[in-house]
Amino acid sequence: MDWLEQELQQALGRKEPSPGFDARVAAAANRRRPVLTMPRWLAAAAAVLVITAAGAGYRYHEGQEAKKQVMLAMRLTGTKLIRVQMQMKAVRQ
Amino acid sequence: MKVAAGFALACAVAAMLCAQQLKLNLDHLAAKASDSVDVSLNNNMLQFAGKFLDGKDPEEAAVKKLIVGIDGIYIRSFEFKQEGVWSQADLEQIRSQLKAPDWSRIIGVKSAEEGENAEVHVCNQSGKVTGIVVLVTGPKEFTVANIVGNVSLESLADLGGHFGLPKLEEQKKKK
Repeated sequence: MDWLEQELQQALGRKEPSPGFDARVAAAANRRRPVLTMPRWLAAAAAVLVITAAGAGYRYHEGQEAKKQVMLAMRLTGTKLIRVQMQMKAVRQ
Repeated sequence: MKVAAGFALACAVAAMLCAQQLKLNLDHLAAKASDSVDVSLNNNMLQFAGKFLDGKDPEEAAVKKLIVGIDGIYIRSFEFKQEGVWSQADLEQIRSQLKAPDWSRIIGVKSAEEGENAEVHVCNQSGKVTGIVVLVTGPKEFTVANIVGNVSLESLADLGGHFGLPKLEEQKKKK
């Protein structure tokens, strides 16, 4: 047996665990990890906030659409009235 | 008693508004039009839109001021690629609702050469203007604008100068 085999035998040889190893492993496995829990009131508040924000966003969108419609209506009516006025002026002249 | 009186008043107001708001059954033209505009805004929508109009913007400020007395805006405008798409019956359908004594035609311009027709009708109730109808038709165009409520034609025409439209006086000077 040369020195290399001896070294390997020593390194890979069976070793007994330190006393109390199995108890420590069992204890670690049984230890419950703390679960991060959110208070219910916080979850409800977050839900209300999200719903309110979504409602406000929808209302803003609706408002912008209504504004566009009003501006379009006024632009169109104003244009037609000016055209009527111009036709009247042309007839008078 | 108060409830009954309130109901009667509401009915009377509703009846007045109905008289000013036209029935615009022109959906059949929409399918044939190359361009169409359909605007239906009642009082609630107008007031709601008013909250979003910016008072600092000249155009929006003018419109914001104008819509204060308006109860509704109803517009149908169609442009066609070909002539003869709309019929005289479509025009008569609108005109038949603009009857005296409430309605009176204050402007009527007809161009036989170009085949264009423009009319402005005003609804007067108790000495107040409570509705305006602008009816403009051409060989390839059919537009009816119905504004319900207290609105002056001058204010509407003043919108020229805004929206990138030149004012009438300026157009005259250019000529």
